Amino acid sequence: MTDDGLNFLVGEEPRLDNLLLAGDVLPLLRALVAAGAAGACLADPAGVEIFGAGEPDAEEMLADLTLFLEGEPVARVRVRGDAARRRELVALAELLRTALDTVLRSSLKRALTTGVHTTVVQQSYQELLLKNEELTLSEARYRELARTLEERVQERTEELRRALAHLLQQEKMAAIGQLAAGVAHEINNPLGFITSNLHTLQKYVSRFGTMLAFYRDHLALDLPLETVADQAELKWRELKLTPALDDVGDLLSQSLSGAERVTRIVADLKGFSHVDEAGEMPVDLNLELERTVTVLSSQLAGRAEIIRELQALPPVVCQPQLPGQIFLNLIQNALTHGGTHPTITLATCCDGERIRISVADDGPGVPTGLRGQIFEPFFTTLPVGSGTGMGLAVVWEAALRMGGTVAVADAPGGGAEFVVTIPIVKEASHVQIR
Amino acid sequence: MIEYLEEEGRMVLKLVYYGPALSGKTTNLLQLHEGLSFQGRGELMVLDTSGDRTIYFDLLPFFLVAPSGLKVKVKVYTVPGQVCHDATRKAVLQRADGVAFIADSQLKETQNNAASFENLECNLAQTGLDIETLPLVIQFNKRDLPDGIPEEEIRRVWGPTGLPVVLASALKGDGVVETFRTLAGLAYDRVDARYALGSVHGLSREDFLSRLTCLHGEEGGMAP
Repeated sequence: MTDDGLNFLVGEEPRLDNLLLAGDVLPLLRALVAAGAAGACLADPAGVEIFGAGEPDAEEMLADLTLFLEGEPVARVRVRGDAARRRELVALAELLRTALDTVLRSSLKRALTTGVHTTVVQQSYQELLLKNEELTLSEARYRELARTLEERVQERTEELRRALAHLLQQEKMAAIGQLAAGVAHEINNPLGFITSNLHTLQKYVSRFGTMLAFYRDHLALDLPLETVADQAELKWRELKLTPALDDVGDLLSQSLSGAERVTRIVADLKGFSHVDEAGEMPVDLNLELERTVTVLSSQLAGRAEIIRELQALPPVVCQPQLPGQIFLNLIQNALTHGGTHPTITLATCCDGERIRISVADDGPGVPTGLRGQIFEPFFTTLPVGSGTGMGLAVVWEAALRMGGTVAVADAPGGGAEFVVTIPIVKEASHVQIR
Repeated sequence: MIEYLEEEGRMVLKLVYYGPALSGKTTNLLQLHEGLSFQGRGELMVLDTSGDRTIYFDLLPFFLVAPSGLKVKVKVYTVPGQVCHDATRKAVLQRADGVAFIADSQLKETQNNAASFENLECNLAQTGLDIETLPLVIQFNKRDLPDGIPEEEIRRVWGPTGLPVVLASALKGDGVVETFRTLAGLAYDRVDARYALGSVHGLSREDFLSRLTCLHGEEGGMAP
C-alpha cells in the first residue's frame, strides 16, 4: 500500500512518553510524597529519571518496581524513604505501580482505538479520492467513447446508405435488363419480317434487272418490234414479273410499318427510361403510365388484363425516370403476386393538391401483418433466389424522391391496392410537358 | 513486520487472526491469554466491543529478548469479522507476518467461510501481501458442535493447498495453542530467512516457540 501513498499501520510501537503524560503521573508521585515517601520517581529501564517528586537522592531506595507495556519492561517505579516505614512505603509503591499500569493501559487502549479510527477514516478518505479519480477517468473515457461512437455510427450509416443506394441501382438495372429481354422480342418480330421481305425484294429486283437487260440487248439488235414484244412477253412470264410487281407494294408497305413499329418501341423505351434526360422536368404521369404498360406489353400479353381509369392530371416536376420505376415495379409486383391471370386496374385522379395513382390487382392481397415490412429492402415472400426483395423498396425510394408516399391497402373487390400519393407543385402547371 | 530497528535492537512482528464473524477469533486469543504463562506475555487488550462483538480488534502482545539482546515483540491481532468493518480489517492486516484463518466448522457457515477467505485474499492483495508466500494457517473451530463439516471433507478440500489445517474447539482450548504455534513457527521461518534470527541472534526456532507458548506451570520463558 505504500506504493499507492497509503501508509497507515495498526500496531505501530507506542512510545512511553506518548502514553504517560506528566499530568497523569506527577499527581500520583506527589501523592506518594504526601503519604510520607521522601521521593518517588518514574525512570526509564536504564535508571534515568523521567518524572520525579520529593527529594531525588534522599534516604534509602525502598522499592524499585518494573512497569510493563505489552509485556515489555519499559520503566521503573522507584520510591525512597525512611527505612523504618519500609513496609508501608513498599505497599504504597506497589499501589503506585498498579495505578501507573492502569493509566498506561487505558492510555494505550485509547491510542489504539483512536489510531485505528483515524487510520480507517483516512484510508476510506484516500479510497474515496482514488475512486473519485477513477470515476473521473472513466467518465472521460466514456465521453470520448460516446463522441467517437457518434462518428462511427455516422460512418456506418453512410456506408449502409451507400450500400442501399447501390442495391437500388442494381435493382433498377435488373429491371431494365428484364425489360430489354421483353423489348428485344418486340423488336425481333417486325425485324424478322422486314428482313424476310428484303430478301424477297432482293430476288425481285434481280429479276427486274434481268428483264431490263433483256430489253436493252434486244433493242440494240434492231429486231422487228413484234418479235421483241413476243420474246419479251415470254421472258416476262418466265420471270413471273406480274405477281412480283403485285407483291412489291405489299412487301414495302409491310416493311415500312414494321420499321415504324421498331421506331415506336425504341421511342417508348427511350421515353420510359428517359435515358438521355438529366435533371427535373414536368412529367405527365398518365403518359408515363401508358409508356410503362407499352414496354411491359410482351409480359402482359395473354397473362393479365389491364383496366385503365385515368383522369387528366396536372404535370408533376420530377426526375423523369422516377414515375416509370414506380409503375414498372408496381405492375410487375401485381403480375407476380396477383394470381395466374390477374386483372390489374390502373387508376389516377387528382384533388387539386395531390395526385393519387393506384395499381390494384384481384389477387390474394397483402396480409395485414406484412404491410409494415413489404417496403423494406430485401423483404420478399418469394423463395430464396426468386425475388430480390428490392422491387417495392425501389418504389418507396422513388416515391420519396418525388416528395410523395406509397401505401398498401385492400383493393375494393379484394386483392392488393398500392396507392402512390404525389403532392402538386403549383408553379409547375404552366410548363411545357415532354 | 511492523518494524525492525537494527540500531535499537528491536523487532516487532504481527500475526493476525482472520475469519468470518463469530468464528471464535477473540476466543482463541482469550484462551492463549489464559493458557500461556505470564512471562513475556503482555495483557490481552480487548478493545471497545459492542454487544460482545469485536468492532476494532483485540491485541495480545508477547515480548522476548534474544540471546543477542534483540528485543522481539510479537503482536497477535484479531480483526472484526463482520462484513461492514472491512476498512478496519485492511488496516489491521497491514504488514502482517502471518495469518491464522479461523473458520467456523458448522455446515451453515460454509458460505461465510468462503466469503471471508475471499475477502482475505482480496485484502492481502490490496495491502501488498502475497498470499503464496505469507505464512497462513487454517483453523476449523467449533469442532465440539454437532453438524460440523466432516474432517475428511476438510482434508479433501484443503489438503491439496498444502496449508496447515488445525481442528480446534477454542472454547474448550483444544487446538488453540497448536494453531498459534504453527503460525508462529511459519512466521519464524520467514523472518529467520531474512534476518538470521538463529545464526546472528542466537534465537532458535524451538527457543522462539517455547518462549511464546510456554504453558502455565512449565519451565521456560525468560525474566523481564
